[in-house]
Amino acid sequence: MKNRIKVFRAGRDMTQEQLAELVGVTRNTIISIEKDKYCPSLKLGYRIAAVFGVTIDDIFTYEPDKDGPGTDDDV
Amino acid sequence: MKRLTYLACALLVATVVAAMAGWSMATGNLLVPVIAIPLGAIVILACRRNVREVIGDERLNKVRSQAALRTLEVAIIVGAIATVVLYSFMTSGSLSPKVTGSVYTNSDGTSTMVINLYRPGAPQTAENLIRSTTIRDINSMNELEAMDYCQFRREAFLDNERKGVAGLTVGGLVISLLVTFGAFYLYYSRKY
Repeated sequence: MKNRIKVFRAGRDMTQEQLAELVGVTRNTIISIEKDKYCPSLKLGYRIAAVFGVTIDDIFTYEPDKDGPGTDDDV
Repeated sequence: MKRLTYLACALLVATVVAAMAGWSMATGNLLVPVIAIPLGAIVILACRRNVREVIGDERLNKVRSQAALRTLEVAIIVGAIATVVLYSFMTSGSLSPKVTGSVYTNSDGTSTMVINLYRPGAPQTAENLIRSTTIRDINSMNELEAMDYCQFRREAFLDNERKGVAGLTVGGLVISLLVTFGAFYLYYSRKY
């Protein structure tokens, strides 16, 4: 899963801490999402999209897993 | 309240409650932990409610659940191996100390028995001798000699029996962990 959170954040001059506070997660979670290390839940994805006032598709782009569905890449 | 302040507060309360519980057990005052433990839990929960920072989110929950699952898997594998190894001390002949007995006929016609205990898996030499006992006349063994012989037998296998009991305890813990995990697994698989 690729995302453009960093781009949207930079466009709104928002820090990771501020975004984390707005969506109710820790700053480390935002860092992990931005680095594509952690795939957020649908609920958190919608919350992030709502903060930027865009749709979830504008931020997140689905990419098929390298090892196929049902692997650890999904976690 | 900040997250670090909350953690410090929780640590302080837990320490005080543990100290009070320990002191009350030592003095025989069993009413103290009954009051102190729920009170401590209430104080910690009250502090937690006042934390303004996010102290847990979905990523942390996922990390914790993964870590707990891996811990459980490792604990079960290590526990199963430890159970087998420790229990084998109780049941395996090669791991038990070697007991040898020799009977000598004395000049007065009585028979003396010498029982030696050697280290397991080692040659029966003087260096590997753990303990030895002598029964002067096996046909008229007195009470003290009988007691000494019983104690000799008991102490010879005590270490192995202790290891065996430890193995059974670890095995019991592994089974209880599996049962608890199974119960939670069934509960959450029905819930979600």
